[in-house]
Amino acid sequence: MTVLVSGLASGALFAAAALIYNVMFSTSKVLSVATGHTAMLGGVFGAWFMSSLGLPPIVALLGSVATGAAFGFITDLVAIRRVLTRSDEHLWLLSTLALATMTQQAVALWWGTEPRPFPRLLPQGYSSGLADQKYWLPVAVALFLALGLELFYRQTLYGKLFMALSEDSFAARARGVPTGRLRELSYVMAGSMGGLAGFAAGQLTFAYFALGLTLSLNGFIALAAGGLGSNLGALVGGGALGMLNAVATYFIGGEYQNTVAVGLLMVVLLIKPEGLFGTKVARPV
Amino acid sequence: MRWYPIPGVVAAIAVAICALPSLSCQKKEPLKIGWLSSLTGPLSTAAIAENRGVEFAVEEINEAGGINGQKIEIVTRDTAGDPTKAVNFAKELIFVDKVSAIIGPVNSGESLASIPVVAKEGIPNLIIGTLDELTDPVKYPRAFRAICTNSQWINAANDYALNVLKKSKIAIIADTSGYGTATAKAAAASLAKSGTTPVYTVLVDPNKTDLTDEMNKAKASGADVVMPWSASTGLLARLLNTRGDMGWNVPVVGHPVLMAAPIRPLLNKPDYLQNAFAAGYSSMTFDDSGKLPEATTKLRDKIRGRLGDGGEIGFSFWWVALGYDTVKLVEHAVKTAGSTEPAAIEKAFENTKNFPGVYATYSWGPGERNGYPAQAVVMNLAGSFKDGAYRAAPH
Repeated sequence: MTVLVSGLASGALFAAAALIYNVMFSTSKVLSVATGHTAMLGGVFGAWFMSSLGLPPIVALLGSVATGAAFGFITDLVAIRRVLTRSDEHLWLLSTLALATMTQQAVALWWGTEPRPFPRLLPQGYSSGLADQKYWLPVAVALFLALGLELFYRQTLYGKLFMALSEDSFAARARGVPTGRLRELSYVMAGSMGGLAGFAAGQLTFAYFALGLTLSLNGFIALAAGGLGSNLGALVGGGALGMLNAVATYFIGGEYQNTVAVGLLMVVLLIKPEGLFGTKVARPV
Repeated sequence: MRWYPIPGVVAAIAVAICALPSLSCQKKEPLKIGWLSSLTGPLSTAAIAENRGVEFAVEEINEAGGINGQKIEIVTRDTAGDPTKAVNFAKELIFVDKVSAIIGPVNSGESLASIPVVAKEGIPNLIIGTLDELTDPVKYPRAFRAICTNSQWINAANDYALNVLKKSKIAIIADTSGYGTATAKAAAASLAKSGTTPVYTVLVDPNKTDLTDEMNKAKASGADVVMPWSASTGLLARLLNTRGDMGWNVPVVGHPVLMAAPIRPLLNKPDYLQNAFAAGYSSMTFDDSGKLPEATTKLRDKIRGRLGDGGEIGFSFWWVALGYDTVKLVEHAVKTAGSTEPAAIEKAFENTKNFPGVYATYSWGPGERNGYPAQAVVMNLAGSFKDGAYRAAPH
């Protein structure tokens, strides 16, 4: 049981990263390498707000979300906007990788390279076992994000515009949709989601500068396995990856954890290249 | 009237004066020592402290007139913990800066990459990585290790578990890094020599967020000691947290990082460090009357004002002492050799017996490139940190 619960908690964080990928991808067709860094910033800044500035958890939560949103805005401004307007090639891979590296280095210089503690958010002892908040907070936040996104896409005008942009950005632009503004909004939204996820998982991951790339990689695997563009796929892919990692570590050993993760991706892509919940896109010829 | 060739005479006198060693016209070139240190990046905590010791020793030697009248110039290169950078900077130090000796790099991963490069050019190299494979009197004759070896840590921990705690059901938990994997094997092999087989061995990702499964398995296998081999503070803190949350008071015996300062704030409760013991050094261990060895106290008092706010030292002081000693060792070798010729320095190091440093008393020999004495590795109480040093584990 502990294997499944701890796997589910890690998987929820991977799922959150996959959801963030989806939001950014829907408006820009970009898979940003800096995706995991939004969560890393949420954890690090959350710990800083509470431990160093002495702010209450709710204010620290808002601060982490705001930090993530600001980072999302900067990602669009620095690594996406100009690259997309000037080139059709996948140069965003390089620009987002550069931004991710610079962000990680900057946090390492400021925050330090050792993990630091993340304060307890809810009053609870340390002997709660599997009911400990460090397991359930990331799961609750991943579910909240997935449900929130579904409601956003289905119930709001902006959500519908996101979907329109996702399906055909040229047609959307031709009909007067402000595509640049929407992309900017999607990156701010994705950043704030990352800030929230990183804050919720802080007790599990500690406030650690090197968390970003791990989350970017595992979030991508979860996304590809679950199906690019599908929020349900992101949830299932993330959860499955987290649990598979935990089960593989338990039964085979930690040295095979990454092999299992990448193996899962390869198996799914071989059997169902569009991912478990992805849709095949027919290209008109 | 006869013409005297005055300019020629002046030139001749000048040449003669210049030839006199005590009246040298030109200041002596400084003795360049290369210092490969990961001052930024994931391994910077120890390196920054070691750097304080290196700089202090250089200052002290230069203020006293240098080595045989030659000032030391330390040429520092920040490798950021990256083996590729370590190799590139080692080449730069050798070919561009033309250093007489190199200290570092400061960890085994980087050293594995850089030592063959430095050895190929025949430059004396003081090693401060613990992995046993880093030294070899045949392959790398001018590479001399100043720190203890990984085997010395492992043997001290195994000896403590088996012979002091009288526990023989050992669970080894190591991380999946190259260091963790190799050390888990070495620890098991060392136990096998004592006729003991670990009841449970597992490798875990150093960033694994939860160790409940591993600790439950260790408990189920009947372990009466848990032995973690990892330098990851996050992993070790999680292990101690899991043990504490489980209410399982099994002794934890292992890597020195168990008692490192960054572990303490990561613990759910401060007393989770109870019943945990880490390999340490006699030079950094308080005796029964609460005193440190004289050399340690002396250096600590001299350098204290430069370490942060001048109050209590908040990190392991052995890092500073080791950095300090490396420069003093180069000074000793150059003085003994009477030159900066690599072969002469090699000979000087090789003939060094009981050189009194702060971190240790060093000895090397013709077939011995590890200078740290095995008996100086002692076990410390992990939760006993005070002012940069530790108390001895009960024995």
